[in-house]
Amino acid sequence: MTLELAPPIFGNWIWPALQFFLQAAAILGFTALTVGFLVAAFRYGPVAGGDLTYRMLRTGVRDLLALSPQRVLALAWLAIQESLRRRVLVGFGVFLLILLFAGWFLDSKTNDPATLYLSFVLTATTYLVLLMALFLSAFSLPADIKNHTIYTIVTKPVRPGEIVLGRILGFSAIGTVLLAVMGLFSYVFVVRVLNHNHEVELVSLKTATGDTTGTRTGRTTASQNHRHQITIDAEGKGSTDIVQGHYHDVDQQTDGDKTTYVIGPPQDLLTARVPQYGSLRFKDRNGQGIERGISVGNEWKYRSFVEGGTPAAAIWTFQDITPERYPEGVPIEMTIRVFRSYKGDIEKGILGSLVLKNPRTGRSSRMETFRAKEFTIDSRNIPRKLADTDGNPIDLFDDLVADGELEVWLQCIDSSQYFGVAPADFYLRAADASFAGNFVKSYLGIWVQMLLVTSFGVMFSTFLSGAVAMMATLAAVVLGFFTKFVFDVAQGAVEGGGPIESLIRLVNQRNVTVQMEPGLTRDAVEGADAVFMFFMKSVSSLLPDFRQFSNVDYVAHGFDIPLDTLGVQMFSGLGYVVAVCAIGYYFLRTREMAR
Amino acid sequence: MSSEVIVETRNLSKVYRDFWGRQKVRALKALDLEIRRGEIFGLLGPNGSGKTTTIKLLLGLLFPTSGQALVFGRDATDVSKNERLGYLPEESYLYRFLNAEETLDFYGRLFDMPAAVRKRRAAELIDLVGLNWAKRRQLKEYSKGMARRIGLAQALINDPELIMLDEPTSGLDPIGTREMKDLILKLKSEGKTVLMSSHLLADVQDVCDRIAILHQGELKELGRVDTLLKVRDETAIRAKGLSAAGQAEVRAVIERHSGTVLTMDNPTTTLEELFLTIVRDSEARPGRRAKQESESQ
Repeated sequence: MTLELAPPIFGNWIWPALQFFLQAAAILGFTALTVGFLVAAFRYGPVAGGDLTYRMLRTGVRDLLALSPQRVLALAWLAIQESLRRRVLVGFGVFLLILLFAGWFLDSKTNDPATLYLSFVLTATTYLVLLMALFLSAFSLPADIKNHTIYTIVTKPVRPGEIVLGRILGFSAIGTVLLAVMGLFSYVFVVRVLNHNHEVELVSLKTATGDTTGTRTGRTTASQNHRHQITIDAEGKGSTDIVQGHYHDVDQQTDGDKTTYVIGPPQDLLTARVPQYGSLRFKDRNGQGIERGISVGNEWKYRSFVEGGTPAAAIWTFQDITPERYPEGVPIEMTIRVFRSYKGDIEKGILGSLVLKNPRTGRSSRMETFRAKEFTIDSRNIPRKLADTDGNPIDLFDDLVADGELEVWLQCIDSSQYFGVAPADFYLRAADASFAGNFVKSYLGIWVQMLLVTSFGVMFSTFLSGAVAMMATLAAVVLGFFTKFVFDVAQGAVEGGGPIESLIRLVNQRNVTVQMEPGLTRDAVEGADAVFMFFMKSVSSLLPDFRQFSNVDYVAHGFDIPLDTLGVQMFSGLGYVVAVCAIGYYFLRTREMAR
Repeated sequence: MSSEVIVETRNLSKVYRDFWGRQKVRALKALDLEIRRGEIFGLLGPNGSGKTTTIKLLLGLLFPTSGQALVFGRDATDVSKNERLGYLPEESYLYRFLNAEETLDFYGRLFDMPAAVRKRRAAELIDLVGLNWAKRRQLKEYSKGMARRIGLAQALINDPELIMLDEPTSGLDPIGTREMKDLILKLKSEGKTVLMSSHLLADVQDVCDRIAILHQGELKELGRVDTLLKVRDETAIRAKGLSAAGQAEVRAVIERHSGTVLTMDNPTTTLEELFLTIVRDSEARPGRRAKQESESQ
């Protein structure tokens, strides 16, 4: 799994985030008041305008203090009744249909079915729930205003903030129930679809020539487009190899003269790894320390490369390596990318080596070679008892770990070939969390996204008509999913210029690397683009980055979602909801309901 | 009727503008009005005279272009004044997917009323408006008259001091109209203040203490109904059991005092009274049919 940014640590994140939020709220609030005063002063004069602004502020504080939970809950209940009347459950029906026919359009021959199916159910759930939230939230209030049913509410002692909050709460409650049911069905679907079994092909079972240990090898029958090679020891215990990210245990059972082989359910198919990451540094081809490896010309700078056949190495340093934490040795997992400067034997992986080193004494383990497996996780276990470079027995914790620190050196052996690595490509598999629990955690991310869409929909609907509010919310969501790209364009980091220049290039089919001819046209276009890009930057800075709330990658690739990440997502989402509620309150407060 | 002013407008004006700020309609021009506690105040005028605009300004559904609207001494846009206020809109803008009990319970919750009080109050009001038999049906199945009655019930859920009724008898049959008028008078007897707008003059005449007549956004007349309707230069006498000779003598007395007899014949009842009498009679004696016209004459 790619991890471009290290997961935040909640305790380090919360206080600066809170400070930033309060500062942003103060600046935006002051700006809004200033603009409001200027508009009022223009319409009614400075004194009347000032009085109006002051009364608006005073009423806002009073309304906040007079917020009634019972009124909010009553309005939330009304929103729920309205959602049910609007047949929101049809969305759930559509989801069931999609699950039912998923097998028709999902690739059954994939090498990683768990990733495919998990990505599918989580993505389908996300899109359906967000769509449902969008339609419910954007049309509700405008419909009330158009039908005048809002008259009987605003002529009661109901604050505008209660109307906004009640609707957000009500629609979120419906979304939560839908998510829970969809999650349950998704979980059952994934588990059932991925569950499979094999049988041992008895004719394939044989003992290797010259083998005295009694070990037999063979293969299984094919099931779900794959089969395994099996190894059974003399005592009748064994396992299969890892295919499509899983293996099975094999058990020989003897009942009198009859011997049967039982292959267990798939193991390691649905996992929630808890990785321990280390810091990464490099050595260049001369053995000198450098910050990053070399570039092989990829645009995406996530990985850098280590040259084969040289002293170049990627070195990970891990902390807190203790016998208590790793009583049976250290399980490692790595995902190596390979860059071939020549084709070579494409069937064979590129040869690499792993060495463990004591960061203080420099004592090393014996080099262990391996063939790089691209696009798959290579799992190994480093036992406690090892040998050093001279063949002497050493203990992992006594000889190679210093104050809990351990270094792992990765090198490429094949000359003129390269290994591409990133910090998260190599980790220690510290523990495994519950897959079911991790699955539930992933839904919390979707829940926060749903809450954000609902909040934005309600906010936009306080001053826009239903269809326009829906478009505005949709725009906010789309921009939210492409925040990074929009920000890069706004910063000028993307080739091809701003929106106007890009449009001209598109129409004229001009290459993005060719500059526009100097002149009045270019100056005008760049000037207009500067204004657009200013607004793009402002908007992309204000809108939430929806991708930061998505945990699909974690679950699909079998990694546990850190609680710190969930904490950051929850509090970030809450910050946006508070801000959006305040904006919705202001627009509803200043709106004439009878117009 | 006390002298405490519950509702006051000071130079209240409303101009509707388009998106660009251009004036489209001058709905209300410099309205000065006071409504005192305990009175039934009628706002009269033809369609488009500004009656509904005035009520909406007082409720805070619209904002004044200039002037002030005060309710219970507070600005009309102050939400807290709604604690003591009830409003029946021109049409019953209720949530059609709720039934009567749910509707009243919902509105009761908006007043922070405890559950037990809500339940009791909802039952009382459903009984008051005569909808016990339909309280579990969704409002979308109600007739217009039934919806109007539930609308009135929600306006009274909080036992308000001031009730604003916008065209309260609109769309009601004569029985419903009579019941609405009786209810309004009952509210007055309980010390409540009622502001009602209507273009049905007979209804207003029957219940209102004071009226204001609006036309094209301007206040044209304001005062007590009995005072405004009095025809000062005519005297009306109703007498019972007067013979033809007696009638001739009265006529002679009037002429001797330089008066002119305008009319002297049997007075007529109102169509409303006739209708109500017939309906009551029919309920008491079902099956009795009307006589042929030639027979009755």
